[in-house]
Amino acid sequence: MSALLEVRHATRRFAGLVALDDVSFALAPSEILGLIGPNGAGKTTLISIVSGTLAPSEGEVLFQGAPITALPAFRRARLGIGRTFQIMRPFPGLSVLDNVAVGALFGRGGGQPKLAVAREQARACLDFVGLGRSAGQRAEELGGPGRKRLELAKALAMQPKVLLCDEVMAGLNHVEIDEVIDVIRKVRDQGISILVIEHVIKAIKSLSDRLLVLHHGEKIAEGVPAEVLANPTVIEAYLGKGRA
Amino acid sequence: MDLLAQILANGLLLGGLYAVMALGLALVWGVLNIVNLAHGAFIMLGAYLSWYLYTDAGIDPFLGLPITAAVMFGVGYALQRGLLNLVVRAPMFNTLLITFGLEVILTYLAQLVFSADFRTINPPYAGDSWQLGPVTLPVARFFAFVVAIVLTIGMWLFLLHTQLGRAIRATAQNLIAARLYGVEPRHLYAMTFGIGLALASAAGGLYGTVSQVNPYIGASLTAKSFAISIIGGLDNPLGVLVGGLFLGVVEALTTLYIGPTFADVASLGVLLLVLVVKPSGLLGRTA
Amino acid sequence: MKPVRALLVLAALALLAAVPWLGSDTLIQFGINTLLLAVLAQGWNIIGGYTGYASFGNSVFYGLGSYGVAIAMVQWHLPFAVGLVFGVGLGIVFACSLGVAVLRLRGHYFAIATLALAQVMTAIVSNIGLAGQNVGLVLPPLNNDRLFYELALGLLVLATLTVWGLTRSRFGFGLIAIRENEEGAAVMGIDTTLYKVLAFNLAGIFSALAGGIHAYWITFLDPESAFDISLNVKMIIMAVFGGPGTVLGPIVGAFSLSAISELLSSNVTSVAGLFFGAVIVAAIVLMPRGLADIVRNVPKTGWRYFRQNIRAHRL
Repeated sequence: MSALLEVRHATRRFAGLVALDDVSFALAPSEILGLIGPNGAGKTTLISIVSGTLAPSEGEVLFQGAPITALPAFRRARLGIGRTFQIMRPFPGLSVLDNVAVGALFGRGGGQPKLAVAREQARACLDFVGLGRSAGQRAEELGGPGRKRLELAKALAMQPKVLLCDEVMAGLNHVEIDEVIDVIRKVRDQGISILVIEHVIKAIKSLSDRLLVLHHGEKIAEGVPAEVLANPTVIEAYLGKGRA
Repeated sequence: MDLLAQILANGLLLGGLYAVMALGLALVWGVLNIVNLAHGAFIMLGAYLSWYLYTDAGIDPFLGLPITAAVMFGVGYALQRGLLNLVVRAPMFNTLLITFGLEVILTYLAQLVFSADFRTINPPYAGDSWQLGPVTLPVARFFAFVVAIVLTIGMWLFLLHTQLGRAIRATAQNLIAARLYGVEPRHLYAMTFGIGLALASAAGGLYGTVSQVNPYIGASLTAKSFAISIIGGLDNPLGVLVGGLFLGVVEALTTLYIGPTFADVASLGVLLLVLVVKPSGLLGRTA
Repeated sequence: MKPVRALLVLAALALLAAVPWLGSDTLIQFGINTLLLAVLAQGWNIIGGYTGYASFGNSVFYGLGSYGVAIAMVQWHLPFAVGLVFGVGLGIVFACSLGVAVLRLRGHYFAIATLALAQVMTAIVSNIGLAGQNVGLVLPPLNNDRLFYELALGLLVLATLTVWGLTRSRFGFGLIAIRENEEGAAVMGIDTTLYKVLAFNLAGIFSALAGGIHAYWITFLDPESAFDISLNVKMIIMAVFGGPGTVLGPIVGAFSLSAISELLSSNVTSVAGLFFGAVIVAAIVLMPRGLADIVRNVPKTGWRYFRQNIRAHRL
């Protein structure tokens, strides 16, 4: 089975700092790939390169076999790459429903031209993530966990083939984390591939099919969660030398 | 060749004055994120203050600058504390509009109180000039230039080396962190705006010695100050100085080689170029 | 829209349309000026209110529209309608060329760039022979204020219908998304550059048409008055006072502020401008989202509305 999404030798420099150094990986259809690593490892940078928000200094990104490195963010969205942001980006003046409707209006394939239909699709997405009751509220009135779900709903409304999740579980308690894990599993069951950045190791261990570990911008491990988490290099990266 | 040297000298002298004009605007803009559309009107007020000090009390305009600056500092402090602090956290567009409203009020007040007559400040040495080789330097303009340089370097040193200056810079970069360091934002904001107006009034006093003053000069002076602030970059008073000198020379050269009516077009053209190519200004950090 | 509201709007429209037959000549002239200002405010609403790009240079379109009509009628002896189309064409060329460059800027940089553009245009046009240079152009006279009034009213209705259509369309949603969070909008599939340029063009078209009508009405044109920079602030203040990002806000703002201004100038001339400035300052502090927002919220929250605004925005 050929990869749905492929990143080859991605490198990104920021005026003297190398945020990403020759990182390559592939994402298969209906796969959940977990992306972990200590703070500052380059995880968000990698996702930004995939979503088109940031251009790589070197390397390329391929989607369904075709290179998309030169495409701007909105075109990638129309191809089917959806993304949530760590620092959330709602449309504050719009209602929760309309926030999600934007995704339905403009998502994969250029989205849906009719506003009424888009709103229906939006309602379905809100129910899917468990925000159905908040549809009429203004987006800025939602609390932290609500906003995380809104981010997810917005991305889902775009009908993505690949979903890039940047720390959707940060700041959530155990119960909420379990709920989000459920939602992400349901998303994968719909045939969507997911790349998840997460700090909560327990959650990502149970959720991911494979794990990818970044440290100082380099890929230091990739594989099945059990193996990766037992890898001494990985443990050293998180806990420092001499503790492995 | 001599003509070119003279024109360049004129441009530099003018540029120094331009720099002081823009200094207050750039400070308030860079630190408080307040785009003060009434800045030119405050320059105009400063000019009138200097004029009255000279005409009614016989105080030399240059020597009177500290007095007018102190007065306007007080005005600025009160204005920020009493009015502008109320809209600081609104979308920036609101401060644009509120300062526009202030501009309207100030212009009409000036028209009522000072009448629309043109005024100039004419100290006895106004007509004198010095010779520096092939170049003639009018005394008043030269003094204005010197004061401008002193003020700019003074501001730069102030921001870098005094406690208040560092507090102002810290607030500009991160209001929340600054609070954690014991900075009282309402007071600090008011101090910054006060300094901004003090600078504007000094610029006004200088302006009054080299050009005519009437209630309506505010708008074009504001526009010019914008251009200089953007061209030079908001981060650094030295950038404003470079921007001012640059614009002064550009205008002088345009007047010589193309025509006086194109001087404004030239400065605006430079502004547009800078905005499109490098919005952070000639000396600003790359975004 | 609720039926009661729709009826009210229609009634108001009918009343407005009847003014040339009910009012004095002065009233008709005041009406034409106000209607054209309302068109400008509504046009600004599209790029400034809905898309969030506060342009301080829509006066350029107004001037291009004016000169389009003037040049077409005076130099080439073409009819008025063709002149209008020409003026709009000039506006579109401007929006798609310089507009694109300037739309890459954000916030106050965009505002200042558009203001600079507006000032440059005056200087440039003063030097074009075809445009009569500094002296200006004199158009063939047409003494029919009623016609101009109805034209202006029709244009306002068209502009307002366009804005109303925006609120119910995919395009409009895209613009609002850009205003609320431009990067977020791009990541969701919105071609932000294209949409911004389209919005700018739309605003420009209405401004140009207003300029064209105005030029033919007053019969005389020179660069200073055609590219009148003060129009920019007027249209923005009117749109903001009435309620930016709403359908009727700019109209309400234009009518109310024009009326206040007229009343003041005829009664208390010297203090008029002063009062106007004070109104603006007070409005920004107490009602930054305009009259439309007051109408929406004060019935619910009462006088606390004003205090809430201050508390939300003060340091």
